Amino acid sequence: MSAGNVSLQCENIQVAFGGLKAVAGVSRSFQSGRIYGLIGPNGAGKTTLMNALSGHATLAAGQVILNGRDITKLSVHARTRAGLGRSFQITKIFSGMTVLENLKLAAFAHRYRVQPFWMPAGRFAEIRQDAEKVLAQIGLERLAHAPAENLSHGDQRALEVGLALLSDPSVLLLDEPLAGVGHERLEQALELIRRIVAGRTVLLIEHNMDVVMQISDEIVVMVQGQLLGSGTPAEIRANPAVRAAYLGNDE
Amino acid sequence: MSMLRLDQILMAAAVAAMIVFAMVSTSEESLNLISLILIWGLLAIGFDLIFGMAGMLSFGHAAMFGAGGYALALLAPQFGFLPSLLVAAVAGAALAFLLSVFALRVSGLFFSLLTLSLAQLVYILASTKLRAFTGGLDGIPGVLRPALFGVDFYNNRNYFYFLVVVFVIGVAIMALLRISPFGSALKAVQANDVRAEQIGYNVQRLRQCAFMISGAYAGVSGALLASLMFYVSPQMLHWSTSGDVLIMTLLGGKGTLLGPVLGVAVFEVLKEELSQFTEHWYGVLGIVFILCTIFLPNGIAGLFAVLGRGRKGASK
Repeated sequence: MSAGNVSLQCENIQVAFGGLKAVAGVSRSFQSGRIYGLIGPNGAGKTTLMNALSGHATLAAGQVILNGRDITKLSVHARTRAGLGRSFQITKIFSGMTVLENLKLAAFAHRYRVQPFWMPAGRFAEIRQDAEKVLAQIGLERLAHAPAENLSHGDQRALEVGLALLSDPSVLLLDEPLAGVGHERLEQALELIRRIVAGRTVLLIEHNMDVVMQISDEIVVMVQGQLLGSGTPAEIRANPAVRAAYLGNDE
Repeated sequence: MSMLRLDQILMAAAVAAMIVFAMVSTSEESLNLISLILIWGLLAIGFDLIFGMAGMLSFGHAAMFGAGGYALALLAPQFGFLPSLLVAAVAGAALAFLLSVFALRVSGLFFSLLTLSLAQLVYILASTKLRAFTGGLDGIPGVLRPALFGVDFYNNRNYFYFLVVVFVIGVAIMALLRISPFGSALKAVQANDVRAEQIGYNVQRLRQCAFMISGAYAGVSGALLASLMFYVSPQMLHWSTSGDVLIMTLLGGKGTLLGPVLGVAVFEVLKEELSQFTEHWYGVLGIVFILCTIFLPNGIAGLFAVLGRGRKGASK
């Protein structure tokens, strides 16, 4: 997967809630190995677009193509198997279980289409290895046996990303992976995202402009359900239309 | 993690003690009572696979329970007891599959209500429309007992040993299922179904499989009850059966392997004792149940857990 290949392609994606078009015809391709920052005002349809890509929202029209394969009709779990990972805006982890148990669940889901029922879960050495590898990647080794719900907000966000990583996705959708991460942890969290992207395509929603400009290779601006434009962070800062629609009141 | 905890050992000891008591006691009543506990215990541990592990509240288990009873009653005369017991398991699973096709389209409370109404449909079918096969409200008398190794299973004590064997096999299979990756996946579905789906679990398929296994347990349990009583009637299919197994499971402690069995034991013993004093025993049982949900939210298994922790703390 060299850079330059299209790994995710949106063809005229439309999502409607009643009469309202939350996503009104988005066409765009995303190249592998790059980090895309998706920005736009509240209600622009960023999360809805992400839901359309991951299978959580029903498309009114359009197609989603992942690595050349049309995944429009696939269910959420089938898209994950096809190589699409996702983290959520509102933290969704398995509470009542430890961090390592959380990661093991994702490892089992990835490795087995039919979950083995004839052997205790503890006997699967390769599952433990998979989970521990990701545990190290997200830097939570010291919390391996802590109950997931007791983690700090920032650590929970890291676990979110870790759960998505275990399916070894070629495309990773991160919905505000840094929301609520404290200032002192921000650099560490950014470092984590940079580290995990190697060879993957990342589409991330982030409201902190400094952060998103710093980490993204390319910024995609969304307004009122449509893509307004895209470019390098520098280009976006200079784009008058974007400034008027979005950044204007910021500067 | 895979090590047995003290509370689990204590619960297993309690169940074993109950079985041994039935073996050494000469009382026919306690033998009958403990036979009933083992049979309803199988229903309850099957029920907890979906209720305690996967977080699905079914009000339709009476349907699978009754289906097992009828399957055995109708088939045993022709095909023999053991093959018919197997068919009872398959019938329970098949009916669970049928119910799940409709009920799993929705979740939460709506799942409970759909299983309830579908099970009531089965009750009505068995008691009226299918009278030619089921004997209607009169039921089917003369359900057979096993005929194996020349042992007389019409002797209640011998039949009890047969029940113990089936019960132990049922518990062993369930114990493995619960600690297997399949069991972990069900826990994941209960903890967060959106996330479970996102990491690649086919959540609907997992729910369906669990429901069918649970149905198979209900089918076997119903067949064993029919055989114990020599009788099967639509009463087994009535929705109150589904309510009873829910109360038993909550009383014993949902989400544990043997808690539900202890819940069945308390339920059956209370019913036996209370019904000697008052015909309103169900009401008294209701009060006991309400008090337990307030003061023992984790059921009898919760008591054992406290006991286990206490010991551990004291030994340190």
